Amino acid sequence: MKLKTLLLLSTISLALFIAITIISSRLPSPIPESAVAGKLVWQRHNCISCHTLFGNGGYDADDLTNITTKRALSYLIDYLVQPPVMRPNNYTHHPALDEVDAENLVNYLEFVDTIPTLGWPPQEEDAEKDL
Amino acid sequence: MKLFEYFGFTGKVNQLMAPKQQFIAQKISRRYCVFAISLFSLQGIVALLGAVDLVIPDLPSPIPFEYGRAIHLGLSTFWPLIGTMGMIYFFITAELNREIYSPRLARWQFWIVILFCLLILGSLALRIGNGREFLEGMPIFYVGICLALALASYNLIQTLLTDKRNITPAAATMTVGMTFLLLLLLPNTLTYTNPIADEATKFWVVHLWEEMAFELTSAGFIATFYVVSGLASRAQIEKWLYLEASLAVIGGLYGTGHHYYWIGFPAVWLILGSLLSLVEVVPVGLLVHMTYKGLKHKKIRSNREKLTLWLLLSSVFYHITGASLLGLIITVPWVNLYMHGTFFTSGHAHLALFGSLGFVVLAGCYYVLSQGSEPTLKGYKGGVLAVILLNSGLIAMSSALMVAGLMQAYFWRILGMDFMEVRLSLNPYLILRVLGGMVFTLGDLLLSWHIYRTWRTTNAK
Ligand code: HEM
Ligand code: HEM
Repeated sequence: MKLKTLLLLSTISLALFIAITIISSRLPSPIPESAVAGKLVWQRHNCISCHTLFGNGGYDADDLTNITTKRALSYLIDYLVQPPVMRPNNYTHHPALDEVDAENLVNYLEFVDTIPTLGWPPQEEDAEKDL
Repeated sequence: MKLFEYFGFTGKVNQLMAPKQQFIAQKISRRYCVFAISLFSLQGIVALLGAVDLVIPDLPSPIPFEYGRAIHLGLSTFWPLIGTMGMIYFFITAELNREIYSPRLARWQFWIVILFCLLILGSLALRIGNGREFLEGMPIFYVGICLALALASYNLIQTLLTDKRNITPAAATMTVGMTFLLLLLLPNTLTYTNPIADEATKFWVVHLWEEMAFELTSAGFIATFYVVSGLASRAQIEKWLYLEASLAVIGGLYGTGHHYYWIGFPAVWLILGSLLSLVEVVPVGLLVHMTYKGLKHKKIRSNREKLTLWLLLSSVFYHITGASLLGLIITVPWVNLYMHGTFFTSGHAHLALFGSLGFVVLAGCYYVLSQGSEPTLKGYKGGVLAVILLNSGLIAMSSALMVAGLMQAYFWRILGMDFMEVRLSLNPYLILRVLGGMVFTLGDLLLSWHIYRTWRTTNAK
């Protein structure tokens, strides 16, 4: 095999790969402003280090992809604004957000919940809404 | 104390050999390698603290877990990156037997990559970041890393073009790998509002750097090492290398599909990802075949080459087991459905990222820094002990994670128990992980110490 072949194969494969990745990235519906703001809150506080979205992230707290089907929005906002002590700690609280950030963040999670994930996660918790 | 001396913690561990004529690029490559080794020893310590933080409630720490983890992940790509940059300059001059295009650019590149790497780690320690897993630093700093990669790619391409008729497959493969590192990081300096696109692009570094670009740079280095140490003939290598590289590119690119299963991508990726991941494994087979044949025919005498080989063989071992076999198992969509997002993935991540890539970079850095010297018997023993500690620690740590992951999959995913309840019941395994991590860090520090002293010896001449 020749170097030319490697370069040609690499270029074509990369171009095609990028193209189908872009096509595959289409959202089911446009993302609302507040969800975009919420995404930035998510990133600013580095939530991904402990939680996962779509199963990617840290392993120390629950996956939040479908959290808004499991919990009421008002519960989630309260949780973030007045964070409780995290199990198994006795003092350490969950990081806190202000009211606006918390609302945007929950809007973002609500949007994430609408993204179809081909049947993952395999088993939803018995989904009675905890209020 | 006797034991200390026996394994060469103290006393003379290296002796100088007749100095070889060195290219300027090879001198410059030494600082990359020393810096990479320093970051590696830092990583062992940061990692251990992070792992301890997970099992002791309310542990006070100046850097909270979420930023400590980010630093750990940053380090896990930075030291292999910086080590690779050094190794490539060293081995490309060895391959081509001439100077690189511009040693000056290589010096600039060094300061740029160090500066931005430290900026990312420092800002994360101050809790400033961008919250994308593996790329937690501010996007602007990754532009700096891209700049360093652009200088590297330019320098390497120009080096090849200076004498077009004498481009060897190993030199070309390393150059293509470096260029891919740049191309794949670039899109990650942008900000995405679309969460699906954001997630997909992230894997161009998380997956494609590790399983494609670094595969190419490592393949080039391994090929050169096999030729100079007589493990394989040049003709043999030249026959296989481009084929190996092409398979790595195609398998690597479309194998990204195994990270695209559940992020909102269409179902066709389940098929693409699982089938093309099979292709990823073929180059590993070729590598193993080459290594096996080489070892059968040739006895290596030099302790320096032997120590390098121990590090390389460790890498080959995890390439087969932790990366390929384990990787293939969790690539099967029905398995991935349950294992995804559990500690099982973490077990694979450590075995593959450190096991296959990390060990290669350590082998390269050691070889580069020990050029012109030979370890004493004591020094050699110490090095081997470090390799044994690293391997035992890694295996203990990853096995504990994998057992934890299996339990998580069963109790949380299959039985549908509450996440936190399951997580708390896994503490014994996470403590085992800490113990494995301790052994690992011990090996890490011992090896770094040895390499550091080798560097001092060879610097002196
Ligand atoms: C040198 C080779 C390899 C390295 C460095 C590597 C590294 C990694 C890392 C760091 C992750 C974790 C990503 C995360 O936490 O989000 C991962 C996940 C994964 N790897 Fe590998 N890997 C290698 C080889 C392979 C191979 C050969 C395969 C399959 C043939 C494979 C299949 C997978 C799969 C399916 C996942 C996703 C698990 C999940 O999140 O569900 N890996 N790998
Ligand atoms: C002393 C040895 C080490 C220990 C104790 C350790 C510990 C950890 C911990 C605690 C996490 C966070 C997991 C979580 O969120 O729960 C992690 C993640 C990670 N580490 Fe390490 N680590 C070690 C060495 C390494 C090395 C040498 C590398 C690669 C060069 C590496 C690569 C990674 C990667 C890719 C992740 C992210 C994927 C995952 O969460 O598993 N680690 N490690």
